[in-house]
Amino acid sequence: MELASPDPAILARRTEIVAGLKALVPDGVVSDRAGLAAFDGDALTARRQAALVCVLPRTKEQVSAVLKFASDNAVPIVPRGAGTSLSGGALPRADGILLGLSRMNRILEIDFENRCVVAEPGVTNLAITRAVEGQGFYYAPDPSSQIACTIGGNVAENSGGLHCLKYGLTTNNLLGVEFVTIDGNFLRLGGKCGSVGGFDLLGIVAGSEGLLGIVTEATVRILPKPPVTRTLLAAFRSVPAAGQCVADIIAGGIVPAAMEFMDRRCIEAVEAYSAPGYPRGVEGVLLIDADGIKAEVDDAIARMAVIARNCGAEVREASDEAERMRLWAGRKAAFPAMGRLAPDMLCMDGTIPRRMLPSVLARMAEMSEEYQLGFCNVFHAGDGNLHPLIIFDVMKPGELERAEHFGADILKLCVEVGGVLTGEHGVGVEKRDLMPTMFSESDLAQQQRLKCAFDGAGLLNPGKVFPTLSACVEQGHMHVKGGRMPFANLPRF
Amino acid sequence: MANISVRSEAEVVDAVREARERRRTLETVGAGTKRAFGRPIQCDDVLDVSGLRGIVSYQPEELLLTALPGTPVTEINELLSANGQRLGFEPGDWGPLLGVKASAGTIGGAISADVCGPAAVRYGRARDHLLGYRAVNGFGEAYKAGGKVVKNVTGFDLPKLMCGAFGTLGVLTEVTLRVFPKPSLSRVFMVAAEPREGLALLRKVWSSPLEATGLGYSDGMALIRLEGEEQPLSEKAALLGTIGVFTEVDDVRFQEIANGTQFANQSDDVLLLSLPPANAAEIVPDIGASSWCADHAGGTLWIGTNQPVHEIAARYGGRARLLRAPEATRANATVFPPEDPARLALTRGVKAAFDPLGIFNSGRMYEGI
Repeated sequence: MELASPDPAILARRTEIVAGLKALVPDGVVSDRAGLAAFDGDALTARRQAALVCVLPRTKEQVSAVLKFASDNAVPIVPRGAGTSLSGGALPRADGILLGLSRMNRILEIDFENRCVVAEPGVTNLAITRAVEGQGFYYAPDPSSQIACTIGGNVAENSGGLHCLKYGLTTNNLLGVEFVTIDGNFLRLGGKCGSVGGFDLLGIVAGSEGLLGIVTEATVRILPKPPVTRTLLAAFRSVPAAGQCVADIIAGGIVPAAMEFMDRRCIEAVEAYSAPGYPRGVEGVLLIDADGIKAEVDDAIARMAVIARNCGAEVREASDEAERMRLWAGRKAAFPAMGRLAPDMLCMDGTIPRRMLPSVLARMAEMSEEYQLGFCNVFHAGDGNLHPLIIFDVMKPGELERAEHFGADILKLCVEVGGVLTGEHGVGVEKRDLMPTMFSESDLAQQQRLKCAFDGAGLLNPGKVFPTLSACVEQGHMHVKGGRMPFANLPRF
Repeated sequence: MANISVRSEAEVVDAVREARERRRTLETVGAGTKRAFGRPIQCDDVLDVSGLRGIVSYQPEELLLTALPGTPVTEINELLSANGQRLGFEPGDWGPLLGVKASAGTIGGAISADVCGPAAVRYGRARDHLLGYRAVNGFGEAYKAGGKVVKNVTGFDLPKLMCGAFGTLGVLTEVTLRVFPKPSLSRVFMVAAEPREGLALLRKVWSSPLEATGLGYSDGMALIRLEGEEQPLSEKAALLGTIGVFTEVDDVRFQEIANGTQFANQSDDVLLLSLPPANAAEIVPDIGASSWCADHAGGTLWIGTNQPVHEIAARYGGRARLLRAPEATRANATVFPPEDPARLALTRGVKAAFDPLGIFNSGRMYEGI
């Protein structure tokens, strides 16, 4: 994957652009080299690029003014929350303004009567829960970066987390936004009543990866905190048995709050790293949470334990809160644990139909042999969202390329078995060139026509999500240059 | 006016391409049960998609179902029910309310008209359940959007846009929906209460961990539906008893709310109003309702009235749709919530991105849209 080379005409106007932005946001323009280095990428760490200039507005009026300025001067805009995107969604452009929204970090309203919170885009995901937990509420979507990631970024990426199967993604917990278009106009989409009536433009904005406009305020639903949570650990001697167990639990009418699978390699790495107490010598474990009122949780835990044992698992329950936390800490340490085994790591994010789990895991093990690279699997088993972690050493000749090909082959496999390229991390720059493996030319053309309705000049986050675009003026005859060799030169972590 | 019946996506493509070439407009019709909802339209031809019928695939353990859009909702409900599952948005049956037969509505119609029942208070509206679709756009191209898995963020979430778009953006040819396990038991509890008090009680239950799948108010009664397995459900009923004193009643009351049954034999216009739940009790006396009931803890109000309401709705942070009214009223009144100029411009842009020639159901929602 190659990023487009910067527009020299814009680079030549840099002084003028910086001055223009300083007039709009006097105390929030970063233009020196050291300052810009702090904003030169996101959690797709291998890819770095300094922005033309970074602007950090404090008010929505400033956001509007910056967008109008960018529009009038035909300068690309790259929005950024906390910079935790795993797909390069916030990767700056040498010829683009980086619009950082982290200073807009006020919670504007907490409305318990209507079970919602109104927040500026720079408020962190966890801060919303912190603001309402005293009253027994929480905000359900919990991406693992929730301590840092912002609600604006969550809306842009339609972020997920461990609890999506029961509680949905960001889009299912989002009631409304205030939204600024590229020409600086404000729109209100949805509200405390949700998105009803005309076209569901709110639904389109969620997960649009910064390509349609900038969210300056989000209204999200809060949930009453479940009084009881219990955790089961089920250990399996074969992967298909674990897959069967997941299918049987779902078919048994239970929707666990979380259901995570880790394979043998992952268990070994995690045990070596933090010894959470997973059983050794097994092919996989499922870590399962049930939450709700006590009798319902007790019933679900009892039934799931029986189902797991019928699938040949050794089952035990966390005996107290400390053990429960330790078991989950082990799962959450999968990234650093694998990271210890090699200098570099790639994290994939495909979703597959759950029934394909055993065959996909078997095929990935074969690929690992073919590519001569280690990997492990952690997996949101409830919703079929795979996170294969490929380990490699970028200093060894050819390993990065092999790792990238391995990763691309995994995602192609996900699509082949009826799944999708990304379950929660987004397309960004990382999977951009793989889009044609999932979508045909007419599929992509329809999405791009929608983009044109919001941003005809293509100034919002260009180079993300879609392979090369032609101009919007030919709407209806747009040509997507698909079929290029995916992942040609894409560095990943 | 021709009636074009289609039985496959390829036939839809042919019909749309011909309409394009001959500059004709199409009214897409499934079972035709909701033709009286929306602004009256005069299209050149009718595109009958009721022949796009049948379940394409269904694996209960995947928690999703793929069907052709002309499949009756009742057929889908029966299949899911036989497997202990259901549609989370629990669409009601608006047939009798709109003066046509019951149990005929299609899944494509339910999605396109954003029809939601009681369980939506817990599981969300139609928009939260359409995972993917295939459709033919105004360019005469068949395309797909979304995916056939429960968790997907690949590309724009076009399925959201198709929900509640009344067929103005294209012709659906296949839909993939999330489904949910249906608990084995369901109990409905009732208490007589004044509107303000009854609606406040519903919100109290809504803010509790009881995970109620029905929170309605009708005929002076607050109604609560709880579901679960036997033992857990007993505990939920006991917990509910700490919030108020209830009597147990028949489950059918929630179906009646979802179907707008109480309005079926009245002549007033019927409005469906979405609003912040805590404003429900405030708006009722203001709106001049001859009769009304509430669903979704007050987040949805059904209102029989003959007064214009969009302005009042907006004042209370809500959005109204004129669900039933005589054709002459619908021709002159605003059926869907009025959009401000910026949002209307974007709405027009979105319509043009899918249907630049205005082939599909044009004018059904707004002038030219």
